[in-house]
Amino acid sequence: MVAQAGGEVAILIESDIVSARRAVRESASAIGFGLTDVTRIVTAASELARNVFKYGGSGVMRWKFLRDGIELAFVDEGPGIADIEMALTQGFTTGGGLGMGLPGAKRLMDEMVIESSPGLGTTVIVRKWKKV
Amino acid sequence: MINESISVIKVRDVLMVAMPGDPDDATVAALQEKTLLAMEQHEVRGLILDLSKVDTLDSYFARTVTETAAMVTLMGGDTIIAGMRPAVAITATQLGLDLGVTRTALSVDVALEMACFQPGQVGP
Repeated sequence: MVAQAGGEVAILIESDIVSARRAVRESASAIGFGLTDVTRIVTAASELARNVFKYGGSGVMRWKFLRDGIELAFVDEGPGIADIEMALTQGFTTGGGLGMGLPGAKRLMDEMVIESSPGLGTTVIVRKWKKV
Repeated sequence: MINESISVIKVRDVLMVAMPGDPDDATVAALQEKTLLAMEQHEVRGLILDLSKVDTLDSYFARTVTETAAMVTLMGGDTIIAGMRPAVAITATQLGLDLGVTRTALSVDVALEMACFQPGQVGP
């Protein structure tokens, strides 16, 4: 395989969101996702990377190729999410945004796993599978 | 990180604002002010926002676009969003984005026609 099997992008400043998007676009395209799916994955990554920056302060995005898809992990050591179910509700926000980042990203991807402990940070893992 | 620039061009009675493909948040925020200042400066009647180069429209970007349209309305202008790509439109809708009552056009060409020839709207 020519493409790298994985990598990471540190999210420390706001423009790192763009770097995360570019890394995801490149890797998702490299393993053969079509333009619409690439756009879905990149847009989800943009929402989740912004959450890392906005709520977590800083963190990292890791991506890796799966057998038939891609996995992205967004890890921060911020205050954590008090109520994950609420956070997944469309329109709910604690940050003055539109409240569509997390639920929207979930709809754009095939799988989403959220692990969060108050005070210890948040990890959001999303996966997208290639349709055969 | 290189800040991609936003170009604002006056065509007849409208401003055409071309958004870069993959702007950072600061560039998106600059869109608002630059556009509103240009509106005042050129005394145009409306704004065409060209999204044809945009390949990621996330919630932050979309909110800024709708906010800008609302501000243009407050200033007495009209906004047309033009040239959204199919993949972006699909993604935006699934994400849950709502561009509100903002008018849209398939391309800048069509938007210019709407802006210039529709009585009671933007243009003569």
